[in-house]
Amino acid sequence: MTVHTPETVQESPSTEHEHIIVCREVHKWFGDFHVLRGINLNVKPQEVVVIIGPSGSGKSTFIRCINRLEEHQRGDIIVDGIPLTHDVRNIEKIRSEVGMVFQQFNLFPHLTVMENITLAPIHVRKMKKEEAEALAMELLERVGIPEQAHKYPGQLSGGQQQRVAIARALAMRPKIMLFDEPTSALDPEMIKEVLDVMKELAQSGMTMLVVTHEMGFAREVADRIVFMDGGEIVEVGTPEHFFTNPQHERTKLFLSQIL
Amino acid sequence: MASYVQTSQAETLAPPTERYTLLGWVYKHLLSPWYNLVLTLVGGLLLYAIFKPALTWAFTGARWAVIPANLNLLMRGQYPAEEAWRLWAVIFLLALAGGYNWGVWSKTVGPALITAFAIPWLLMLVPWFSWGTRLNLLIVEAVGLVGYALGRITPKQRSQWAVYAFLAYLLAMLLLLRGLQEGHPTLPMVPTRLWGGLLLSLLLAFFGIVFSFPLGVLLALGRTAERMPAIQTISVLYIEFIRGVPLISLLFMSQVMLQLFLPEDFPQIDHMLRALAAITLFSAAYTAENVRGGLQSIPKGQYEAAASVGLNGYQTMRLIILPQALRAVIPVLVGQFIGLFKDTSLVALVGLFDLLGIARVILANPDWLGTQREVYVFIAFLYWIFSYLMSYSSRRVEEALGVGKF
Ligand SMILES: Nc1ncnc2c1ncn2[C@@H]1O[C@H](COP(=O)(O)OP(=O)(O)OP(=O)(O)O)[C@@H](O)[C@H]1O
Ligand SMILES: [Mg+2]
Repeated sequence: MTVHTPETVQESPSTEHEHIIVCREVHKWFGDFHVLRGINLNVKPQEVVVIIGPSGSGKSTFIRCINRLEEHQRGDIIVDGIPLTHDVRNIEKIRSEVGMVFQQFNLFPHLTVMENITLAPIHVRKMKKEEAEALAMELLERVGIPEQAHKYPGQLSGGQQQRVAIARALAMRPKIMLFDEPTSALDPEMIKEVLDVMKELAQSGMTMLVVTHEMGFAREVADRIVFMDGGEIVEVGTPEHFFTNPQHERTKLFLSQIL
Repeated sequence: MASYVQTSQAETLAPPTERYTLLGWVYKHLLSPWYNLVLTLVGGLLLYAIFKPALTWAFTGARWAVIPANLNLLMRGQYPAEEAWRLWAVIFLLALAGGYNWGVWSKTVGPALITAFAIPWLLMLVPWFSWGTRLNLLIVEAVGLVGYALGRITPKQRSQWAVYAFLAYLLAMLLLLRGLQEGHPTLPMVPTRLWGGLLLSLLLAFFGIVFSFPLGVLLALGRTAERMPAIQTISVLYIEFIRGVPLISLLFMSQVMLQLFLPEDFPQIDHMLRALAAITLFSAAYTAENVRGGLQSIPKGQYEAAASVGLNGYQTMRLIILPQALRAVIPVLVGQFIGLFKDTSLVALVGLFDLLGIARVILANPDWLGTQREVYVFIAFLYWIFSYLMSYSSRRVEEALGVGKF
């Protein structure tokens, strides 16, 4: 049995060609508070990585660094070959290639479902309105709510809103999707409908980074699970490794609490 | 073992409604319990004490003749009678553009629309109006209907035409009001010093609102632009300076002091424009603060969602943040604009002949000595009508936009 530490899971020295996300020694502070303490993680195209860890461990902060909603202060983050620097053009380019789904959905309440989805394709990708609407309908079919197209977000259930949020992110045809606890704000009976959409997305070959407490999802869908604590990656491994043979004391403690 | 199992489904009942006879209503709301009876009696006595003398005066003592005798003056100041058709033309075009916008934006026939179309008919009942005026009001009604019908048949994808219609109206209005040049055969120039009465009050308020609104929005954005400290500082200084001085001092500065600071051969700037500038600059600071309140009410998640789909800062503001922020502050802004309309009466103190200024001119006329009450009650009534119209239409707009619904 090999011991899975970040280094061994990452395999040979990473090349930017085979990894779509490269994070090297990423550090971040909020004021004096050292949130991320040297994160190393590389993700291959089509890989599904689930990030778990106790509250306050920096999971959200880390994935928000990947589309620059938060700015890291040391180390490198390279997404699809584009290094994240202060260059605004790079940031905009990366944001249009990385979709994000939030815990609180963050739909635009003054726009219909259709307008929520077509907004970015029309204004960022300069797509024609008719074309964008056809794309939106296709995506709404995919997430299972084509009949809601002309309602406002406030008229939908939480599960439906989160599926619209996923469709909105997909409308930019992203190469990577980030999920920050997408089911934490949902009633139990709605969690499954969102997880099903995410599973289908994973099977279709989307590269995904998912912060979640849904261990069933992690076990079934993840290629790798990353356990974070105190701003560090403590352990990385396959689901099988995690649920049968966790190595680190902190991982064992966390899993014993959550399972 | 279950001790209860439902066997039949409960039927759906209509909600209970409260039904009263007239007397029952009076009893429940006015007479019982005992303290309500006391309040009703005290209230009734107070109303009687106030209204009896007021009504006696209005129907027996008042010399209302002062109003019809000076109606033209009150309505349009010194604007020449032979050019008055131009003012009617402005009103016709307003009815056309207004009706058109209504038809485009709201496809439902509701009480607000009926009220709007009832206004000209109600005005025709005013006993002081001439038959010519009544005919013109009829035309207003007809033109409004035409505009509304045109709006209804405009396809939804062409809604932007409503905005063009409004902009075209602004231009046409200025052209008609001011005219081309001195002695032009059809549209001779009418200098602004002749504009007065209700016309001037409404124009000051209207253009004050139209110009101060965008300026206020820019200032609000400036004040919240943390990434641009220079712009932020300028916005804060401007807003706080303006909010620290009364409007009347700005009016005095613009009318009296400005010319002292300018070089001697500098051409005189139009008095009305100067007053308008003071009003606009003043109102913009308040608009900015109100809009800022709206901006602060937008959750951080909206900015993040906008950024995450790749919108840039400008697009985020224009498409996501401002539409929500402005919608949230419509009620406050309308309140502020009503205040602005009433504040235009201050220009009377710096020598302009708005509604209040004209009132003072009339009262200085020896023929109408002692008619202060009649004249002031009348202009107060006019201010009230227009303020109430603004507040009424804003509530309708709020309903149409669903303010506070999401
Ligand atoms: N904008 C901020 N300013 C200051 N501190 C912050 C900020 N955002 C997060 N933090 C702090 O950083 C730490 C990590 O936060 P983060 O949201 O990344 O944790 P998390 O692992 O996602 O936790 P949770 O499971 O509760 O979502 C927390 O202690 C949090 O209080
Ligand atoms: Mg989090």
